[in-house]
Amino acid sequence: MRPWPLLLVLLVALPLVAGVATLPPHDAPDAPIHTQVGARYLERGVAETGMKNLVTAVLLNYRGFDTFIEVVVIFTALAAVLALPKGSAPVPKGSAPVPKGSAPVPKGSAPVPKGGPQAPEPAAGSAARAARAREEERPEVASDVPVSPVVRFVVRLLAPFIAMFAVAMLFRGHITPGGGFQAAAVFAAVFIALGLALGQARAARLVPVDWRPWLQGVAPLAFALVAWIGWRLTGAFLGYPSDDHTAQEAMGFVLEVAIAVGGGVILARVFLEMET
Amino acid sequence: MTGPWAEALPWVIALPLVGAALTPAVAVRRPRAAGFWAWGVLLVTAVLAAGLVSELLARGPFSYELGGWPAAYGIELRFDHFSAWVLPLALLFVVIVPFSWRYLDHVMPDERRPPFYALLLLNAGGMIGFCVTGDLFNLFVFTEVVSLSSYALVAVGGRGLAAFAALKYLFIGAVSSLLMLFATAQLFVLTGSLNMAEVSLRLAEVGGGTAVMVAFAAYAVSFMVKAAMFPVHVWLPDAHAIAPSPVSAVLSGMVVKVGIVGMLRVYQIYYGAEVLELGAFNLALVWLGAVSIVMGAFFAIFQDDIKLMLAYSTISNIGYIVLGLGLASPYAVIGASVHVFNHALIKATLFLAAGSIIHQTGFRTLSDLRGVARAMPQTSAAMAIGAVSIVGLPPTAGFVCKWYIALGAFEANQAPFGFALVFGALFIFIYYIRMLNAFYFQKPVHAAVAQASETPWSMRGPVVLLASLCLILGVLGGIPLTFVEPAVLDLLPLWGP
Amino acid sequence: MLLFGLDLDYVAVVMLFCVGLYMLVAKSNLLKKLLGLNVMETAVFAFIVTAGMVEGGDPPIMVAGTSAPFASPIPHAMVLTGIVVAVSVTAVALALIVQIHAHFGTIEIDELKELP
Repeated sequence: MRPWPLLLVLLVALPLVAGVATLPPHDAPDAPIHTQVGARYLERGVAETGMKNLVTAVLLNYRGFDTFIEVVVIFTALAAVLALPKGSAPVPKGSAPVPKGSAPVPKGSAPVPKGGPQAPEPAAGSAARAARAREEERPEVASDVPVSPVVRFVVRLLAPFIAMFAVAMLFRGHITPGGGFQAAAVFAAVFIALGLALGQARAARLVPVDWRPWLQGVAPLAFALVAWIGWRLTGAFLGYPSDDHTAQEAMGFVLEVAIAVGGGVILARVFLEMET
Repeated sequence: MTGPWAEALPWVIALPLVGAALTPAVAVRRPRAAGFWAWGVLLVTAVLAAGLVSELLARGPFSYELGGWPAAYGIELRFDHFSAWVLPLALLFVVIVPFSWRYLDHVMPDERRPPFYALLLLNAGGMIGFCVTGDLFNLFVFTEVVSLSSYALVAVGGRGLAAFAALKYLFIGAVSSLLMLFATAQLFVLTGSLNMAEVSLRLAEVGGGTAVMVAFAAYAVSFMVKAAMFPVHVWLPDAHAIAPSPVSAVLSGMVVKVGIVGMLRVYQIYYGAEVLELGAFNLALVWLGAVSIVMGAFFAIFQDDIKLMLAYSTISNIGYIVLGLGLASPYAVIGASVHVFNHALIKATLFLAAGSIIHQTGFRTLSDLRGVARAMPQTSAAMAIGAVSIVGLPPTAGFVCKWYIALGAFEANQAPFGFALVFGALFIFIYYIRMLNAFYFQKPVHAAVAQASETPWSMRGPVVLLASLCLILGVLGGIPLTFVEPAVLDLLPLWGP
Repeated sequence: MLLFGLDLDYVAVVMLFCVGLYMLVAKSNLLKKLLGLNVMETAVFAFIVTAGMVEGGDPPIMVAGTSAPFASPIPHAMVLTGIVVAVSVTAVALALIVQIHAHFGTIEIDELKELP
């Protein structure tokens, strides 16, 4: 065992312990964390935002901009996964690893024939068609190990109920723990389970190809829309009209649904991209 | 009292982010349209940023309360003189994106262009948000947008090695982000607030203490990693060298500056609160900066790969900026703040010119690229101007900043560092001389290099434009210097020696 | 809980952080490194949530059946954001590891270093 990782960990641990040791004790109700901003949220949160779940109130209203950027982060993850090169065959087990010398030099340095014809501009619509064609070529079950019929049956049986649970989490989120992100995670889980049990092609068919580019970005787009509506209504970016509870609820509802749908689609898509 | 442009503050962040979310949908039928779309979005963003800067010039720093909540209860955006960095940032993106249109032809198939440009827009939007937010947790979330898109942008160009460089960047970057979140949480526990101005006020009441110091140290280490200072620079050379050249220009020119801007923000909080004696920390910055200058230059000399050489030179230049900030005298800090911008401009020139040469010849090492100046005179001239600028010779953009930083060293009675800076510049000169010598005075060894033709105009235009800006800013260097002066003088009475 | 003036909950969080850091720096397998990173993230989230709790606190949901004192809602919102960020970082890291495996046939740092 090499000693330097332990030394590094010790080096980090000592200042961190020193740092947390001098913090105010965390259980005390008079700690700054409970007396400052948090106190106002607890006192007036329900009246100001119309949301009984104050975590949701902070997420969507007081600090809604954070959540906007948060859904942008998860969209970034999808863009990242989509932008990476695809389609290289895995090295078969047991064979020698590809030596670096023969590895393709990073594309940035690949020689380019000068004056040679550039790749022809693809015809309109060809990308969507190619995507659809790829979809159809996909084998029903991607893995080498056949899925047992028991697993297949159980997943098919339970999928609607799990999806129902996600919907319940989404719509009860304002009075119980839960909400858009949790629903998104469960939606994606249903999708991935179906993909594993029934094959990706059938799972992928649940989301039409033409809708995908819009659904992936639906959460940031919904935030921008609600922010714009709030701007028109109240004069502040992402402002909620404080006296109109119907408008508040409608805006919050749009955001929650967009987070659930957009987040679910993104998580599922990330998984599908990685498998192929 | 705020003018009409103040209303644009949230939209200057939202626009590139929403543009990114729309990119896959816009480009679904014609993937190549993604590049034009991204350029258009960035152009509008730059116009908004220009409006914000005009507002700043007319009425001084201003805030925007998101959602209409008073500052501490919601999220506050704050546009001050350091935030004005968003304008050159957006403009550099506007210049770099057209270069990438043709450059990407040999990097990736067309179908991957939409996510690539989405990442570029996300990167730009994240950095703009980072510069204007006045909320500590929001700062962390924007950091993650910038970092995550940067990790991916490193890896888009190749398999294997590129993915490995990106993963190394990701691991180190994620740990530094975690330290930042930890420090934010600590300040939150201490003060009960996340708003920077409010935290600063409350810290003054709470007073110093180990926790306050540890939070500062965690921020400092985190931002040093983001800025690739010497002991924690290991992620930078591979990542910046292996990324496609337009991405290298963005990463090397702008993304590392996230660390510098973040450091300035933390300084604003702590100097405002007057809870810590930061003299020792400043001295550490000066030393680390000096070591970064020397080590960056030292490693760069031994590189044969031109992009790797430029990547090491970034470490060197971040050293200059940090040295200037640590000296904490008006001249040095003004010089350092302006070098944040000038280095971005020069590094973009150099990386785009290097990218043009690699694109046209297919080679990337100095020994292969001998005599390329004959075949590509304009690009090589741009490269030479960039090289002279980064060494800091008059009359180029690099000269004024380094001159100011050196003056600041004498002003702060740290003359040895002033001399160190001058010698550092000479050191840097060696490796650029090597490059210019290879390009201009040696015979080509490859037919492809001798017969290479100049780049298409969509690539040559940006390179020529950036190179001319390097020269123009050398002559008109006073303008940015006078611009940041009020902000620096604002900060400095608190900025004890 | 306090021991020698140290808040044990916070100390446990730091220990968890260090466990993750050790995994990240000492392990050779890239997936284990990624797990280490996730442990570190969890530690920081635990720190934030711990700080937001109050003695005998209820979740900050204002419906019948809950009563003061309430836990602070801000840490919960912060951690929810933090979790989404962590998931995104993990997704990108996994995609990169898949690429490395596809290209080099291994995800052990020791073996990757030995490649010529």
